[in-house]
Amino acid sequence: MDSLYLAWRYLCFYKVRSFILIGCITVIAALPLALEILVNESERQLSLRAESTPLLIGAKGSALDLVMNSLYFSDASPEPITMAAVDQILESDLASPIPLLIRYRSRTFPIVGTTLDYLDFRQLEIKSGNPFSLLGQCLVGAEIARQLDLGPGDHLTSSPEAMFDIAGVYPLKMRISGVLAETNSADDRAVFVDIRTAWIISGLGHGHTDLAKSTDESVILKREAGQVTANAKLMQYNEITEDNIDRFHLHGDPVTFPITAVLALPHDEKSGTILQGRYLDQDSNYQIVTPAKVVDSLLANIFRIRNVLDAVILMVGTATLMALVLVFSLSLRLRSKEMETIFKIGSSRATISRLLGAEITIIGCLSGLLCLIIMLLLNHYDVELVRRLFI
Amino acid sequence: MNTRMSLYVLPAITTLTLLFSANCLAGKPLTVYTVNYPLAYFSERIGGEFVDVVFPAPADVDPAFWTPDEETIGGYQKADLIIINGAGYAKWTQKVSLPLMRQVNTSKSFKDEYISIEMNVTHRHGPEGDHSHAGTAFTTWLDLSLASRQAEAIYKALSRKLMDQKSIVQKNFEALIADLLHLDEQLQDLSDKKPALPLLGSHPIYQYLARGYGLNISMVMWEPDEDPGEQQWRNLQTLVEDHATSWMLWEDSPRPESVKRLEEMGIKSLVYSPCFNRPDEGDFLTVMQQNVDNLSVVFSGAD
Repeated sequence: MDSLYLAWRYLCFYKVRSFILIGCITVIAALPLALEILVNESERQLSLRAESTPLLIGAKGSALDLVMNSLYFSDASPEPITMAAVDQILESDLASPIPLLIRYRSRTFPIVGTTLDYLDFRQLEIKSGNPFSLLGQCLVGAEIARQLDLGPGDHLTSSPEAMFDIAGVYPLKMRISGVLAETNSADDRAVFVDIRTAWIISGLGHGHTDLAKSTDESVILKREAGQVTANAKLMQYNEITEDNIDRFHLHGDPVTFPITAVLALPHDEKSGTILQGRYLDQDSNYQIVTPAKVVDSLLANIFRIRNVLDAVILMVGTATLMALVLVFSLSLRLRSKEMETIFKIGSSRATISRLLGAEITIIGCLSGLLCLIIMLLLNHYDVELVRRLFI
Repeated sequence: MNTRMSLYVLPAITTLTLLFSANCLAGKPLTVYTVNYPLAYFSERIGGEFVDVVFPAPADVDPAFWTPDEETIGGYQKADLIIINGAGYAKWTQKVSLPLMRQVNTSKSFKDEYISIEMNVTHRHGPEGDHSHAGTAFTTWLDLSLASRQAEAIYKALSRKLMDQKSIVQKNFEALIADLLHLDEQLQDLSDKKPALPLLGSHPIYQYLARGYGLNISMVMWEPDEDPGEQQWRNLQTLVEDHATSWMLWEDSPRPESVKRLEEMGIKSLVYSPCFNRPDEGDFLTVMQQNVDNLSVVFSGAD
């Protein structure tokens, strides 16, 4: 006990050195464990979501970009395809399609244009309010509602794609129809809208006053039989309400409108195999991927990188430990007079050894305690951290 | 006494248990929402006791131009199946969010046969405000061969959902088709008697009827319960100069004043109801049969 007391007083006297020693040991011990926890959680989250998604169809190109954008709503949007891909799947009668248009943001949160089938597919429950029913409404994830303190009846505005794009699309003010229950997935940080609302955000649809009845001639470019052409002065509505919803319309054939991917839910295994076979044609503009396989490939790369990281940490750790041993031995040499004094006042060499041992034990225990706290915190927040930092 | 009780009680318990089990096994009926009455009728005929068909449009409103409130939209969203007519019918479906996987577009199989309408005249009537029939003609069911294809789309959707009752559903479907094709045959026989006989339609809703049965119908944009106005009467006068006819088809019983004025022009009136909404009496088939009977007067030489 005396040894421990003396060792403790010694360490408290040399606070800075003690903190540095404790810090070094904590980092060496915690780093590989933290990496293990975060990588395991990444693997779990990535795999879970990927395995629950049977097939994904998108434009030919990077399968990883397609999967990351469609499942985890990453910033990088794949090349768009059209709604014709959805019709193709419907007509095949092999799978049920869910279109996705994930390209726009509201502040930093992705806007996911889709259909109500997405909610059934992901088994998303509504915590408050209702699913979107009219164009211009949106459903927000639990985290968005918490972070921005939003609820049903509040509004959220889409962000313009380019700040100085004078020919760009007006932001759309969307009414929040409901808030989703927490899912601990990317859905918590997404704003869900009907696919046609997403097309309106993209500028393929808009609402304005009835030109045929307009008395403001300054907005009219020309009038012909059966057709009125307006100029750029025509003010477009930036919010869809019950009063003006009938004035909103899409320009063009929706079959040609863009989407970023189609979630395909095969009716059975055989249908899934047949469907995949139909997209193997080299001339096809589409690719069909199994998200689980893409994610497995990604994880294999992560594990290879992790092995390298583990080796690096091991080497760094070994070097740090050797440095610590050097520090201790140098410290002993510097404290030689102190040890001599202790010996001269009656302590045995065993007591001196106990003193040094106590110092090392206290440092070790404190480092261990810190490490434990860090691990407990990581275990508690690993889901959130992985989603924010990696996915 | 115990033996006597067991003679009555045991069979009663057994029967109740069997009934309860049968009920549980049968499951809740499928909820099917439709956008108009003809599709509701087809769904009821095909699905029978295994479906609960809901057509929520009010009886006094044209479902093509009706807009449901959010609560009703919620009902559509929760339905097991949403039966859509297609061909641009019920434009409200383009402004609301409905699950794609549970929608059945009953006219998709003949979308290449849709009829485009060039007319772009708006007309106001009732509380719904102006409406226009520009775009695509949507009364597809008036051509009963197309109606049978719409019924087939409903049958396919229902049989996928009601796998255990497929044979019953199939039988129901075949019975409905037989009834529809019987009416179709009657109309074909009628029109064959006087091919391309000029007729008038009071509202632009008879395109598929005209094409399906080779009827020569020119249509105006009148309402049976409104005075069309002097301009419209003059337009009609001009029309009949090139399209001489003795008959005008109305979607509902017209005003006596309109009937009288038409008779003064040598034009008689008959009702050919599109049956958008649930009739006060009878059903879709009885209404269509009445339509055929009304039209038979035209082709039987009694003009």
